[in-house]
Amino acid sequence: MNIQEYIESGILEAYILGALSAEEHVEVAANIAMYPELTTEVAAIEAAMQRFAESNAEQPPVHMEEQIWQALNKDNQLQTSPTVQKTQTKTIVLPRQAHDVQWQRAAIWIALVGSLATNYILWNQKSQSDQQVAVAKSQTDSMQVQQQRLTATVASFQKVKDMMADTSMQTIVMQTVIKDKPMAATVYWSKVKGDTYLMVDKMPMPPAGKQYQMWMIKDGKPVDMGVIPNDMIASVNGMNKLPISATGSQAFAISLEKEGGNPTPTQVCVLGKVAAI
Amino acid sequence: MPIAATYSEEELVMLLKQQSRDAFNYLYRQYSAVLYGIVNKVVYDEQIAQDVLQEVFVKIWHNIPQYNPEKGRIYTWMINIARNAAIDKLRSKGEIMKSKIQTGEDVVNNVQLGMKTEQSTDAIGLKKIVSELKPEYQTIVNLAYFKGYTLDEISKTLEIPLGTVKTRMRSAINLLRQKFNN
Repeated sequence: MNIQEYIESGILEAYILGALSAEEHVEVAANIAMYPELTTEVAAIEAAMQRFAESNAEQPPVHMEEQIWQALNKDNQLQTSPTVQKTQTKTIVLPRQAHDVQWQRAAIWIALVGSLATNYILWNQKSQSDQQVAVAKSQTDSMQVQQQRLTATVASFQKVKDMMADTSMQTIVMQTVIKDKPMAATVYWSKVKGDTYLMVDKMPMPPAGKQYQMWMIKDGKPVDMGVIPNDMIASVNGMNKLPISATGSQAFAISLEKEGGNPTPTQVCVLGKVAAI
Repeated sequence: MPIAATYSEEELVMLLKQQSRDAFNYLYRQYSAVLYGIVNKVVYDEQIAQDVLQEVFVKIWHNIPQYNPEKGRIYTWMINIARNAAIDKLRSKGEIMKSKIQTGEDVVNNVQLGMKTEQSTDAIGLKKIVSELKPEYQTIVNLAYFKGYTLDEISKTLEIPLGTVKTRMRSAINLLRQKFNN
């Protein structure tokens, strides 16, 4: 906006004289608030119009001063007349009380409704936060389970690491001996220490009433190394140290036996020979 | 607050809020002539002007708590109360008054006729300055200021373009500003 052009247009004079439409008036007022140059100009125009108003000054008739003063007081008396209050005091008492009771009832209802609403809102909030707590709890639970699994995994990796670091450790892969039934398990065996670890790679769960049994072949004869618990079969890739140490083994095997095991293997499933070093 | 000869705007507002007889006396002595002059100029009837003047004082007296110094000087505020009250009265009187102000010429003539009552020397000096304005300037200012005409109405009444009304308004008030300052 060109301020000077705006000023020269005479719109500010029209504004002070009250000659603008309501819309224009608001617009000009906004511009004045925005541009300090306009504020200064408006003040000067206003001052001129005051002098102009003064140039038209006329003394009102003398009686006007007292008349107006009386009018102001009469107005004030109407607003705060003590006599009016006195006469009305007695008659007002009852309706006033009735009025008060109404107000009290209204207040009680408002309080009651307000209280119910508040209760409902609070109850809603509580059940919401209860749900949130339950969700958080189940999340924590599943995180704990995950953490336990991870700990177990880390522990098993730790074992694998230790095993691999053992230079005397040999890996014997036992493979299926039954045609068309691919099965496999791996034995990690320390010839020196006799430590034996079993990792079930692929073995079906034994049928009911049966269990797998671990064997080592020593001097051409199977030696019992104990039955394999079913949960070990279920935990694929789990590395489990066998409780019996093996020395002088030439091969390892797993057979399917009746529950509790047999003194000699009846149905060999997988077999792996120890490589001669 | 003791009554002094003159007060600043802030002091005047405080004084008026006291609502005392002294406050009224000061207000009346200081402003009644200017306010009456405006009202009389608008309604052009002494009896009506007196009624309106009373209304104006009642409004000032009761509305002083609502007066906001940020929105302008109290002097302007009071002048506007007087103008608005008078113009409202004029409009409520409708056609009777309208006939009196039909043309700009009438207004100019009336301005001259209005010089009959007693005035302060200051007001006479100012009046002289205003009377030196070209008639077409006076007419436009008077129609807007005293009759509440909009630019559009002035343009139609005087049959001059709207832009010319505005620039004449500017020229008229510019001249007043120059002369008042001298």
